[in-house]
Amino acid sequence: MLQGPGIVWYLGIAAFLFAIGALGVLIRRNPLIVLLSLEIMLNGGNLALIAFARHAGNGAGQIFALAVMAVAASEVCVGLGLVVALHRRRLAMDVDQLSELRG
Amino acid sequence: MIAGAWLCLCAPLAGALAITGAGERISRRNAGWLSTASVFVAFGGAVWSFLGLRSHGSEHGVISTAWTWLESGKFHVGLSVLVDPLSTMMMLIVSGVGGLIVLYSIGYMDGDDEERRYFAYMSLFVFSMLLLVQGGNLLLLLAGWGLVGLSSYLLIGFWHERPSAVAAAKKAFVMNAIGDATMALAFFVLIAHSNSLEFTTSFATAGHLSSTTVNLVALGLLGGAAAKSAQIPLHTWLPDAMEGPTPVSALIHAATMVTAGVYLIARTHPIFEQARTVELVAAGMGALTLLVAGLIALVQVDIKRVIAYSTMSQIGYMFLGAGVGTYAGGMFHLMTHAFFKALLFMAAGLVIHALSGEQDIRKMRGIGTLMPWTRWAFLAGALALVGLPPFSGFFSKDAIIAAALHDHWYGVVLAVAALGGAFLTGLYTFRLYFIVFGHGQVSDAIDGSHHGEGPKTMLVPVGILAVLAVVGGWIQLSPWWHPVTSWLSPVAATLGVAEPPKSQEVLASVLAVALGLAGVALAYALYGQNRLAVPRLPGVQRALEHKLYFDEAYDALFFRPAAALAGVLRRDFEEPIVLASGPDLGEGALEAGAGVRRLQTGLLRTYVFFLGTGMAVLAIVFLAVR
Repeated sequence: MLQGPGIVWYLGIAAFLFAIGALGVLIRRNPLIVLLSLEIMLNGGNLALIAFARHAGNGAGQIFALAVMAVAASEVCVGLGLVVALHRRRLAMDVDQLSELRG
Repeated sequence: MIAGAWLCLCAPLAGALAITGAGERISRRNAGWLSTASVFVAFGGAVWSFLGLRSHGSEHGVISTAWTWLESGKFHVGLSVLVDPLSTMMMLIVSGVGGLIVLYSIGYMDGDDEERRYFAYMSLFVFSMLLLVQGGNLLLLLAGWGLVGLSSYLLIGFWHERPSAVAAAKKAFVMNAIGDATMALAFFVLIAHSNSLEFTTSFATAGHLSSTTVNLVALGLLGGAAAKSAQIPLHTWLPDAMEGPTPVSALIHAATMVTAGVYLIARTHPIFEQARTVELVAAGMGALTLLVAGLIALVQVDIKRVIAYSTMSQIGYMFLGAGVGTYAGGMFHLMTHAFFKALLFMAAGLVIHALSGEQDIRKMRGIGTLMPWTRWAFLAGALALVGLPPFSGFFSKDAIIAAALHDHWYGVVLAVAALGGAFLTGLYTFRLYFIVFGHGQVSDAIDGSHHGEGPKTMLVPVGILAVLAVVGGWIQLSPWWHPVTSWLSPVAATLGVAEPPKSQEVLASVLAVALGLAGVALAYALYGQNRLAVPRLPGVQRALEHKLYFDEAYDALFFRPAAALAGVLRRDFEEPIVLASGPDLGEGALEAGAGVRRLQTGLLRTYVFFLGTGMAVLAIVFLAVR
């Protein structure tokens, strides 16, 4: 078997990261911080995937993690683009005020 | 010969599609020629397959499958055509007589507003009919059956600005749909028991079915045959269908479509033979129809309606023949009938055309002197219809009567009815002939509106059919010479009970000819020179003029109860419940929407919260349940 801590530890840290991220998304209002928190959630997921890949002994999970990173990178591009656009228009950096699409 | 069969099937379809696709790029006249050519190509294909089958011997029928058309589990049906004696005979009749009629239409429809549509329909009709007779299994037969119903609907209602034509088309369609439904039900039973609609398998299965089942199947088939062939009680659509153009009446209601029922019985005779009772019911139905239609024809004054009732009556003879078991006799009469009845319709069409659409025979008196050719052609058709030797009807009709005579007391009853029908045929046919073509003063109205006999495209088909109506019956003189019977024997062998001895054939012929002549003589006495007053029987006459109240009875039996029920449902259910509930439903939806709208805050964090909570609840439930 592989050396090092057991898979439970990894999953624990992954869940912790995910929870921190989720909390950040929930309670912070600055879109930049929300994006940051989202990244943390995604990396929590990535950690779990890689831990499972090691545990199962094949590379499938790592491939998944790579795919997630690619998606995360594109998501950040779009998100940061939006943040910059908001800033240029001198709109409030507050997700609660950006609710024009409410039904 | 298979190639010939496919050519025969596809040519009219190609013609119809070409005319439809070409639209206004093709002249009206050329659309007519294209349609005619496509049907004559089909005739060429039919001759090809006929000659091929003849050189192989008529027992070597072939089925050619193009591809699997439908597949469902173990049940699969191919798109296949069948070349066997029965189908080649029908192919020849349908495409041959059909081609002549389409050619005739070019002159008849000249100047109509929508000629192209007409000719596309005509080609479509011929294709449908060929699919019906060539279909290599019962499902294709049913497909052709339905297509024929559709194209007859389109053609009867061709003059769609006339409300009566539209009503007639709908009536024909509904009546035929009843038959289609019973046929489909019969096929479902067959599928349930044999998992196949191939002819051979189905017929083999029919032998193992319980008598109730096989009777049900045969009844379903008989229902379809009766509706398509306008036999009592599903006959009321045929006289009304005369609203269509006259060539349509000749094509659909004389030569081809209405005889499909006879073809069906001959084709599925192994099933009917397992259900002999139903077969005898078919014969009785035919006998009843031939009498009733003959009686009604006596009082009609519309030239096409008289011929239409005569068609019903002659199909009654075919049903009678097929029912007692002489399928070849029924098919032979079908063939000669196609010749002389198409001839009669087309000759009547010449008269109607010459008089600019006048159809009332009382206004036609004296037209014969102006149209000698038409008169001779009509006379040939009339003599063939009455069945006087040597005209074609004599050979085919008498064989049926003789066959019926042979089958115990029931057969004798049928034969007596058929002989009565022969008398009526003579009477109504020559009533029509003497009134329309007899001597008499040419009325001024006719003189003024008369257009001459008609263009060559109309006279040539009439001439060809007149010759066929005279000589068409000479290919069989039972019991001495019977090529038609032996040609058909591999697929539709005559039953033993329907093979009368020579003496009966002679007796039947003598009686039928004598009665036919008696009818002609009576018609001459009553209508020939106006020498005798037509006897007045007001009650009977009124009943016959109302076509024995069949329409009224169906109206009272089916339409009025249905309309009354619909009225009650509308008043007590539709209006108070369905209609009134509409606004309430709308308000309810609005209120519910307003309630749900509060959940949509537009704030990302609320949604994430719900998402997260949902996830957590699911996780807990998952853990707890495990």
